[in-house]
Amino acid sequence: MPAFDYNFQKLEPIKSFKAVPEAEQYLPGHRTCAGCGPALNYRLVAKAAGKDTIFIGPTGCMYVANASYLCTPYAVSWIHAQITNAGAVASGIEAAFKIAARKGRHTGPFPNIIVMAGDGGSVDIGLQAMSGMMYRNHKVLFICYDNESYANTGIQTSPTTPYGAATTFTPPGKEIPEGKTLFPKNVPQLVIGGHPAVKYVATTTIAHPLDLMNKVRKALSKPGPTFLHILCPCPKGWLFDEKLTPDMAKLAVETGMWSNYEWEDGVYKYTNVPKKYLPVGDYMKPQGRFAHLKPEHIAKMQAFVDEKIKQVQRPIPVAAAVPVKKLA
Amino acid sequence: MMTGCRAAAEGAKSAEVEVICSFPIRPYTAIMMELAKMVANGELNAEFIHGEGEHAQLSVVLGASAAGARAYTGSSGVGVTYAMEIYSPMAGGRYPAQMSIADRTLDPPGDFGSEHTDAMSTRDQGWLLGWACSPQEVYDNTLMSYRIGEDHRVMLPQMVCQDGYFISHIPDKVTLGETSQVKEFLPPYRPISPLSLTNPVSHGPQIRPDQGAPMDAMRAQTFLAIPKVIEEATADFARIFGRKYDPFVEQYRLADADIAFFIMGAHSNTARAAVDKLRKEGVKAGMARLRWVRPWPTHQLAEALGHVKAVGVVETSTSYGGAMRGGNLIHELRASLYDLDDRPLVTSFMGGLGGETIWPADFDYMAGVLSKMVKEKRTDRYVYWLGM
Repeated sequence: MPAFDYNFQKLEPIKSFKAVPEAEQYLPGHRTCAGCGPALNYRLVAKAAGKDTIFIGPTGCMYVANASYLCTPYAVSWIHAQITNAGAVASGIEAAFKIAARKGRHTGPFPNIIVMAGDGGSVDIGLQAMSGMMYRNHKVLFICYDNESYANTGIQTSPTTPYGAATTFTPPGKEIPEGKTLFPKNVPQLVIGGHPAVKYVATTTIAHPLDLMNKVRKALSKPGPTFLHILCPCPKGWLFDEKLTPDMAKLAVETGMWSNYEWEDGVYKYTNVPKKYLPVGDYMKPQGRFAHLKPEHIAKMQAFVDEKIKQVQRPIPVAAAVPVKKLA
Repeated sequence: MMTGCRAAAEGAKSAEVEVICSFPIRPYTAIMMELAKMVANGELNAEFIHGEGEHAQLSVVLGASAAGARAYTGSSGVGVTYAMEIYSPMAGGRYPAQMSIADRTLDPPGDFGSEHTDAMSTRDQGWLLGWACSPQEVYDNTLMSYRIGEDHRVMLPQMVCQDGYFISHIPDKVTLGETSQVKEFLPPYRPISPLSLTNPVSHGPQIRPDQGAPMDAMRAQTFLAIPKVIEEATADFARIFGRKYDPFVEQYRLADADIAFFIMGAHSNTARAAVDKLRKEGVKAGMARLRWVRPWPTHQLAEALGHVKAVGVVETSTSYGGAMRGGNLIHELRASLYDLDDRPLVTSFMGGLGGETIWPADFDYMAGVLSKMVKEKRTDRYVYWLGM
């Protein structure tokens, strides 16, 4: 394909809270739960991306609770996708804008094309379409807003639901006292490890809003596929007091349950690394989904986290095999 | 001379498709091989995307169509059914992309041969669904289907079907359109509310249950308007390209026929020859060939076949456990004839399954059954399995 200047957007970093744009692209009027982490995330992402944006919203909480009764809260263009196919729908939209630009039918900035998918729509039933899109080098930002369950359908386990969590598909019982027995998929490593075209991958949480918005802007300023994994606590699914949503995300980072990092040009950069990690029980205690666990289960979780945070000191060398700079 | 697959690709090229999404499965895959060459050579300015499966193929063209591009994809056999989830969102979202099908049997067991069950399985999903019987008709239907599907009175995706191998891989004479003819016949795709930066829109929000019925009724209403659009497009096509089709039902020596074969797709070519032979032998045989399964031409079929004494439906698809215990076409044909005061007798013949040839001798056998029905003035059986 001959080189063509598609007029991709370059979004400047936001230096401080005072510099955050006032304009909202995700407006009030939706019917998400009180204390909804994913809704707060949507607002921050949309604000950071700005008006020249198109969202692809696969089925999940952020479809059903936002786009109700023929109304939506988006000030920008938005399209529903199936829970299965957001990556593929986004690929088609990106291709349509590319050909329209080449034929002179679309002028002006190339849209920020953003998939806003839940954990199921990203790395479970939506994994194939997401992977196809990442592999094919489409200029799309794929966001996994992770509330660690199929929450919209009534809190069923997903591949990111933590070990020991009670969900309606993993109820604790006499035979299975922990509830969920499996450990979660490593979402960003799935993306980084298998997709040589991917330009940028980062993790963040709704408790780190400036970090979140700047990661969105950095991702959108790359010329190809990018991915964000964003922790979005869910009061209804995790069973905690709804005013504690940001605190849950903060605790996740402080205990090592979650790490904020970015992967750019093959290099890992960790932020918000605690000087001393809190015990994982501090994170689990306020959450009803872990209330049934016995000390041995919490010890098992602590061992898992201890292993995980070793990577923070010594980033996984997966990316070393991928010469991103040369491919770009 | 060219195959049906090449003709489909030439049709897509003439239509200047802008986003193409491929995935390999025989036999349709030759269409994508041709298009890939055209894009690589710079003959066609399009985005060629390698989908990771048929479900992705449909999803990619859905997104492309929503964003204002003329989009093209295709499949065969189990590929058609793997994409099943996406047919309804495409039709309900009114995205007029096109899917070219070279029919293939479904598994099990693995079989490359043609059978119409693949595309017929999608007939209730709200698409336009038509069958060609020659490479020329494949090319022509590609252009006509885009014209009809993108008409603002329609705005629906289209399936352009041809029998695998019999049409898709046997070369035949094809006349391609001149650029000026195509330009006159097929205007550029004009989306109604595309995804846009300057005019923000929401596609596909949820509804209340009570909003469902009116929306379904609107889609049903659209299908009432489509026959007129098909008639206009078919007439315009004849005027511009000089090739004339019956809009819905090809009628071959049907006007004074006592018995008739009701058929669609490749085997109609054998049926025409069989009718000629039977006529020479003094049997007043005719043929009605279906060009569109959706919209189903109810009244046109009643008009075309009402006077015939016995109709044999040649089924190349299966509907296990259906009302007539055989194929699909007989159900809708009998429903189409039901209101006539003097209805023809109707039975069906399961033929061409698994890609088997329907031989001239099979048509002689069918004519024998139909003539016996006429003589005895009754239908003994609703389904005969040819060759068994």
